[in-house]
Amino acid sequence: MSLGNLRGALKDITVVEAGDEMGDYAAMLLGGLGATVIKLEPLAGSPSRAIGPFATDRDPEQSLYFWRYNLNKQSICIDLDNPAAADALTRLLGKADVVLMAGEYQAVARRRSILQRCMSGNRGAIECTITPFGLDGPYRDFKATDLTLMALGGIMAVCGYDPNDDGHYDTPPICPAMWHAYHIAGEYAAIAINAALNFRDLSGEGQLIDVSVHEAVNTCTEIAIPTYIYNGQTVLRQTARHAMPAVTQMRLVTTRDNILMLASISPFEREERALIQLLDQVGIEHVLGKPEYKELEKQDYRAALTYRNDLIEQVVASLPAEELLQRAQALGLAWSPIRRPEDNLADPHFAARGTFASIEHPELGRRLRYPGTVATDGSEPHFHYHRRAPRLGEHTAQVLSGAGVATAEIAALAAAGVIRIAEEGERRPSASRVQ
Amino acid sequence: MESPNLPKRRALDGVRIIDLTWLQVGPQATRILATFGAQVIRVEWRGRGAIDFLRYYAPFAPDHATADGGRIQGAARSHGVRGNYDRGAYFNNTNPGKYGITLNLNHPKGRDLLKRMVRDANALCENFSPSQMDKWGLGYEELHKINPRLIYMRTTGVGKAGVYKDYVSYGPTAQAFSGLTFLSGLPEPYQPAGWGYSYLDHSPGYFGAMLVMAALRQQRIEGKGVYIDMSQSETGLMLTGTSIIEHQLTGRPTQRYGNRMPYRDWAPHGAFRCAGDDNWIAISVQNDDQWQGLVDEMGSPQWARDRRFAHSAGRKQHEDELETKLTAFTLTQERYALMERLQARGIPAGAVQKAADRFDRDPQLKARGYYVDLPHSEIGVWPIEGFPAKLAASPADVGGLTGRAAPKLGEDNQFIYGEVLGLSPDEIAALSAEEVI
Repeated sequence: MSLGNLRGALKDITVVEAGDEMGDYAAMLLGGLGATVIKLEPLAGSPSRAIGPFATDRDPEQSLYFWRYNLNKQSICIDLDNPAAADALTRLLGKADVVLMAGEYQAVARRRSILQRCMSGNRGAIECTITPFGLDGPYRDFKATDLTLMALGGIMAVCGYDPNDDGHYDTPPICPAMWHAYHIAGEYAAIAINAALNFRDLSGEGQLIDVSVHEAVNTCTEIAIPTYIYNGQTVLRQTARHAMPAVTQMRLVTTRDNILMLASISPFEREERALIQLLDQVGIEHVLGKPEYKELEKQDYRAALTYRNDLIEQVVASLPAEELLQRAQALGLAWSPIRRPEDNLADPHFAARGTFASIEHPELGRRLRYPGTVATDGSEPHFHYHRRAPRLGEHTAQVLSGAGVATAEIAALAAAGVIRIAEEGERRPSASRVQ
Repeated sequence: MESPNLPKRRALDGVRIIDLTWLQVGPQATRILATFGAQVIRVEWRGRGAIDFLRYYAPFAPDHATADGGRIQGAARSHGVRGNYDRGAYFNNTNPGKYGITLNLNHPKGRDLLKRMVRDANALCENFSPSQMDKWGLGYEELHKINPRLIYMRTTGVGKAGVYKDYVSYGPTAQAFSGLTFLSGLPEPYQPAGWGYSYLDHSPGYFGAMLVMAALRQQRIEGKGVYIDMSQSETGLMLTGTSIIEHQLTGRPTQRYGNRMPYRDWAPHGAFRCAGDDNWIAISVQNDDQWQGLVDEMGSPQWARDRRFAHSAGRKQHEDELETKLTAFTLTQERYALMERLQARGIPAGAVQKAADRFDRDPQLKARGYYVDLPHSEIGVWPIEGFPAKLAASPADVGGLTGRAAPKLGEDNQFIYGEVLGLSPDEIAALSAEEVI
């Protein structure tokens, strides 16, 4: 039963995107909600086409990074610096609802000065910049990568491995996932753009949105900031669990079939009762819930925790991961195996929800399954991805023609090297390394 | 800069949200909706097992903090376990700009009152265990009959629809399930380092705010309601797409890479220990010119002039040795001074900042006004984390309509039940006497 879907919620919106990997994800999210996303690429291609891994060789058409973050988009290959591009850009940007510009400040500022001249009559346009530190401030011109932003923004300081018993760390702070600073900023940019679209509905006005990746990273270190602001304490990074002012007890445990399991008990009585049931099911002797355990908790809380954790280790070691997952969940214990991302491809739950979008790749002669939604309406995903990332300049002629640029003019621009139109012959066939 | 005399212009002006969320993952979405001007009515109950965990979860405001007091760090001994649920520091940071009411949904009159509120609401958000709202007879189908335009957002660990519809989850559970936990850390045989916080208690909130805003436009234009069954695990999977398609093409299992960059010729690329206790700097050299700048900054030592390191391919090939030798240099350096010098040479570098660094020192966050001072009715004025974007015409404002940090438990009962819902003082008194509100 479909209960009201957001598929195509932004179907009336055209987004023009120009920039690098800081903006790929934000624009793709808008495209997943139905916006038409037109990606302006320089003649050599977007910088994110140089990011691996690659399907075959290092080729702008083979970047799997680019494939993943540019679903549904159309590509126009155009030299923004060439004055001859101004008329075509004016036609294109005159109809744009959102112009998204991402990258280091100086590059964005230069691009913005060009594009603004071409959108002067478009009062309702929403400009969104995504830059490492925002459009002002003392760090505005700092060089940055995803890694350095994750460091400055505080996430690395809360992620990593346990300290030694003496409190010294042998291992470095860890950046928990690649490109994550841009993930966070991309999600915030998509929020801000949706807010601005709501505001435009009410007021008729567009506006400038200035997204700072640094601030976006700063927003999600949970208790780290309040713990310092209120109590002056610093949280400690620790293996696979939340950074806290003190080192807590380990949560990763190995199952009978040698799979790591995230297994622990939160401070709710119902969870301790569930653990007792699980221990009883498996036949492990214990005193949890009995007067002697209550007494131990009173006398030596850490010893009580250690005792309980030893029981968790025993019960996890006694069962294979899948059986343990099912039994624990049936009792209301929020335990999970540590999966690789691809393990979810075969999971019946995600199949039932339509989590993965099956995307045709004509050049490969096959379909690939991409994570394609975060929510459903009960039967259909709210995000809808239906087309693979564009080839460089694949839609140049089509989009410019749609914007009202005459066919002869398009041909002249191509001949002058102002735009590039992808030829059929530029398609890359599937190669031997691709299975 | 907005004139203080003009009314604030808000993107979600006139929007009302019934907020049944708790912990982090649900309140994150409604926090953002309040930031953009929605009237967010946070519905809570004080009963055992119903109170928001974050109200009695550390950190807490220090004992000396009072309604009139300013911000002074200190130890906290009084907290929710002793019956005061209004001193949670993390709760305060998570729920600014919201109205707070108490409502007993285990009481039939409480459920009736909620239905009355739903009649005029734009959206309802909740993140109870998957079947709780249905048990109360307050599932989407039921509420849709009362208000066909209602946007209903439910957030659960893996999603309500599907095979695991009753799975329970916290952020770390969903992270383990989705693959995010696996991705974090040094290459095997190291275990995953996991995440020191729950991104999957944040991301569903971000997506939640995004989808509710998209749905509000649809509601305005087409008069349609929407049901949003949000899955924490799916928000994690969205971030793993490259690994998943690479696996389909190559059959190779996904690997961890620590802080290195396997997908570009960037080396060195990592966190390097500096002078002091657990101080580190992230350095990310993207090309040979930047490498030469780093060599010059180190005083051009002989090891760094080794031809093997002159080009990126060689640096990648000998990355272990490169990191060891670079660390011998960074260990002698003060991290911020080194960051400034490397930045002056055009090399991406950033100190690994802890909370104190980000709050007390970071000149960029200060210049941009990232932290916002907001009052709380019991613990006084405290800095609240802001929204990471500036909107020129309809600014984000974490104080929302209340101009306040988080509400005390039931702080706005009189205003919401009286002035917004129009109940008489006698009705309010009767409902209170019956333990409905």
